[in-house]
Amino acid sequence: MNKGGLLAVFIFAVTILLVVAGTRWPVPSAAAYAGGGQVSRTASSPEAAVSNLCDRIRAHAWDDAYNSLANKARFSALDFQHDLNGTYPGLLTYTNLDSFEMQPLHASASDAEIRLRLKWATVVGPSVTTRQLRVVRNGDRWQVEWPITSQPTLAPEVIPVNYLRWDVIDRGAGDDWGMQNVDAPHVRIVDMHPVQRAEGTVILGELLNDDIYPAYVAVTATLLRKDQTPIATEGSFDKISHVLLPKQVTPFLILFPDVTLADVGSVRMTPFSSLIAASADPVIEIQSQHMSPAPDASLSGQLVNQSGQVANVAHVLAAFYDSTGQVVWIADQYVDRALLPQTPTPFDIHIPEDLARKIASERTVVASYSFGGTES
Amino acid sequence: MRRGFPLLMTGLALAMMADLAIAQEQGINLPKSIEAGSVFSVRCSGSGEGTVYIVGPGQVLRRDVQLGSTTSFPAGSLTHAGRYLAILSASGSSSDAGSNPVSSFDVVPASEPAKISFLARPSRLPVDIHDAITGAVYLFDTYQNLILTPMPVSFDLTNPSGAGQKRSVTTRDGAAWTAMDSSAHDGTDHFVASAGDVSSARAVVQVAGDACNLRMSVTPSDGKLVVATDPVRDCSGNAVPDGTIVTFTEAANGSKTTVDVPLKRGIAKVEMPEVQGAIFTVASGVSLGNQVRWEK
Amino acid sequence: MICCAAFGLTACLAAAQPAVRVEPSQPQGQQALADQTRSAAIADYLGAWKSMSEALEQNRPGLLDRDFTGSAKDELSATIAQQASLGMRSRYRDLAHDLQFVFYSPDGLSIEMTDDAEYEVQVFVHDKPLAAQRMHARYVVVLTPGAARWGVRVLQASPQP
Repeated sequence: MNKGGLLAVFIFAVTILLVVAGTRWPVPSAAAYAGGGQVSRTASSPEAAVSNLCDRIRAHAWDDAYNSLANKARFSALDFQHDLNGTYPGLLTYTNLDSFEMQPLHASASDAEIRLRLKWATVVGPSVTTRQLRVVRNGDRWQVEWPITSQPTLAPEVIPVNYLRWDVIDRGAGDDWGMQNVDAPHVRIVDMHPVQRAEGTVILGELLNDDIYPAYVAVTATLLRKDQTPIATEGSFDKISHVLLPKQVTPFLILFPDVTLADVGSVRMTPFSSLIAASADPVIEIQSQHMSPAPDASLSGQLVNQSGQVANVAHVLAAFYDSTGQVVWIADQYVDRALLPQTPTPFDIHIPEDLARKIASERTVVASYSFGGTES
Repeated sequence: MRRGFPLLMTGLALAMMADLAIAQEQGINLPKSIEAGSVFSVRCSGSGEGTVYIVGPGQVLRRDVQLGSTTSFPAGSLTHAGRYLAILSASGSSSDAGSNPVSSFDVVPASEPAKISFLARPSRLPVDIHDAITGAVYLFDTYQNLILTPMPVSFDLTNPSGAGQKRSVTTRDGAAWTAMDSSAHDGTDHFVASAGDVSSARAVVQVAGDACNLRMSVTPSDGKLVVATDPVRDCSGNAVPDGTIVTFTEAANGSKTTVDVPLKRGIAKVEMPEVQGAIFTVASGVSLGNQVRWEK
Repeated sequence: MICCAAFGLTACLAAAQPAVRVEPSQPQGQQALADQTRSAAIADYLGAWKSMSEALEQNRPGLLDRDFTGSAKDELSATIAQQASLGMRSRYRDLAHDLQFVFYSPDGLSIEMTDDAEYEVQVFVHDKPLAAQRMHARYVVVLTPGAARWGVRVLQASPQP
C-alpha cells in the first residue's frame, strides 16, 4: 500500500472514531439544537438555572422546564406553556426560541434577580419578550421562580354579529377572452415622501382604497436617476396593510438599502390592487394611544377586538406626521398574542429618536388575521 | 451502348407522356362553399385509388378515395370556417407539386349564433353619466366561427326597479356595439346582450358618491359610549355602500382611541371608552363629519 | 427543371416582404383609433402571419404563443397536430395585404379588421411537395390586447363579397 492509501485509511478510521464519540458523548448544546434533548447542566449558579430553563424551552421540553421551576406548585404545566405560547393560537404558537440574553440585576447567597430577553423566531421575523426572573437557592442548586402571567379566558357567551362579507365571482372557463372579470378596485396613493435614513432611502406614503369593494393592495416603487435611468425597484412587502376595505387608508414603507437619496432624480410609484374575498369583521379598536417622547420614544396603546371572533395575529401600522401634516415615519409591530373578543392587548411601537421630536400627530391602523379565515 | 441511349430516352419520354395523360384525366370536384360542420361530398374523376387532402390553416383532413366515385364527408368533419385547398393525389402518380389536381373552396359559418362574446365596461361606475356603459359583441356559431352575415343584436340594461334602456343593433362583420347611460340611482343593473336564442349577461354596479353631511351621535351604555352615525348618504341622497370604512376618533387627556368601522345596514356603530370631556370626531375617506364633546 | 424553377421563384418570393396597403378610413366604434394603436395592430398582425407560417411549416405550435390567443390559437394548434399525425406540413407565404379597420370596440378591448390577402400555399407530405397554389382571400381578423402586443383571436377567411 502506498502512502496515499495509508493516509486514506487513517482519515477514514479517525472519522469513524469521531462520529462514534460525537454520538456517544454529544456536546449538550449541540444535542439541544439538534432537537435531541435539552442541556442538563448542574444549576450551580442563578445564570446556569436560567440558561437550563431556556434550553428546555428551546427544546419544547415543557414538562422538564416546568418541573425545574421553584414555584411550580402555584400553576400547572399547561398554564406555564400557555404563558409562553398563548392560550389561543397566535404568532408565538408556531415559533421557536432563537436565543436569549440574561442581565443580572441583583444577587445574594440565597436569591438573585435576572432580566431575561427571549428572542423568538416567528414567521414575520424576530419577536422579543422580556421577563424579570427571581432565582432562589434550594440546597446545592438554583431554581427559577417563573413570573406567571395569567392568560385571559373568555366567559362563554354569544355575541351577535351582522356579518358582512364580500365574495368574488371570477370569470368562468366560458370567457375565453379573459376580459370579463369585474374591474380591479380603484386605489390611490394619497401621500408619498422619500427620506434618507442610515439604512438607505425610504419611501413613506399612504394608499387609499377609493372603491366600494375590498382590495388586496401592494405598492412598488422604482427610483430613477436624474437621467431617468432606473436605480432599483422595491416593494412594500409587509410594511403595509394588504387588505383595505372601502375608503380605508394604509400607510406603507418601502426601503431601498444602500441607495442615497441625493442620487435619486425621481420616483415612479406603482400601486397594485385586485379584488379579494374579505370580511368586514373583526373590528379592532385602538384604545389609549399615547406617544412617549424621546428617549425611548414610542407609540403605545391597546387593541380591543370588538367582535366575537378571535383574531390570531394583529399587525399594527402607524403613520407619524410633522406639524405640517407631512408623513415623516412609518413603523409597525406584530402583536404576538391572539386578540380575544373584548380583551385589551397592549402594543408598543418604537420610534427612532431623531424623528420623535418632529412628530406632531399620528394615525394607526390594524390588520388582523384569523387562522382558517382571511385578513381584514 | 450508342444504340441503347436513344431507346432509353424514348422509353422515358413515353412514360412521362403516359403520366401526363393520367393527370389530365384526374380531377377533383366539390362545392365552392359549404357550411361549417355540414355533410359534403368530393367527386374525384379518373380511375384507380387516390388520396384527398383538405388543407387550411384551421383544419387538415386526409381521406383515401376511389377515383371515379364520390366520397362523402360526414357532418362535423370540417368545422372551422376559412378557405381550404382540396388536393387529389392518385396512387402511382409522381409526387410532383404541379401535377396533382387542386381545388379551393370556402367553409362558411353556420347562420345560427351559438355563442356571444360580450365585452361590457365598466363593471362599476358613478351614477348618472351619459353613454358611460358600453357593450360590444361578437357572434359565433357552434364551432367558434365568427358569423359574418348581418344579424340583429339586442342590448338591454335593466335596473333593480325594472326600468331600463334597450337598443337593437345589426352586426357588421360579426360585431356590434352600443353605449348607454348609467342610472340616476345606485344599485346593480343587469346588462344583457342577446341574438337569436343566445344571450350573455353582465352586472354593472352604479355607485353612490362619497359620504355627504356625515353625522354621528354618542350615547352611554353600560359604562361605555355607543358612537353611531346617522344613515350615511352621498350628496344626491344615495346610500353609501355597506362596508365603507368610517373612522371614529376619541381624544381625551393626551391620548386617543381610534377605530375603523365598516358601514352595516347604512350606519357605522361602535363602543368606545367613556371619558369625561372626550372629543369625538368622525370621517370617511375625504369626508369629515361632526364633532361631539362628551359631558355626562 | 420546370419544377425546380417554380420552387426557386417561390424561394425568391418568400424572401420578399409582403406588400401592405391600409385603407385610411376610421373604424366604427365609440372612440377614434389612434395612429400608434393602428401601427401596433398592423405590425402585430403581420408578425402573426410570419409566426403562423413558421409554425405550420415546422409543425411547432409553440411558435404561435406570442401572436395568437383564444380560438385562433386553438385552431392553429389543432391543425399542426393533425399535420404532424399525417406526416404533413404546409408553407404559407403572404404576398400582399390590403387592410381595413372595421371596428374598434369601446375601451379598446378589441380591434376588428379585414384583410384582402394574397398568399401562396405549399403542401408537403413526408417532405415531398404535394401541391402549390396561389390564393386570394378576404380574412376577417379580431385582435385583442395582450401583455405586450395585440394577439390574433380570430383569423377567418370568408368568401369574397
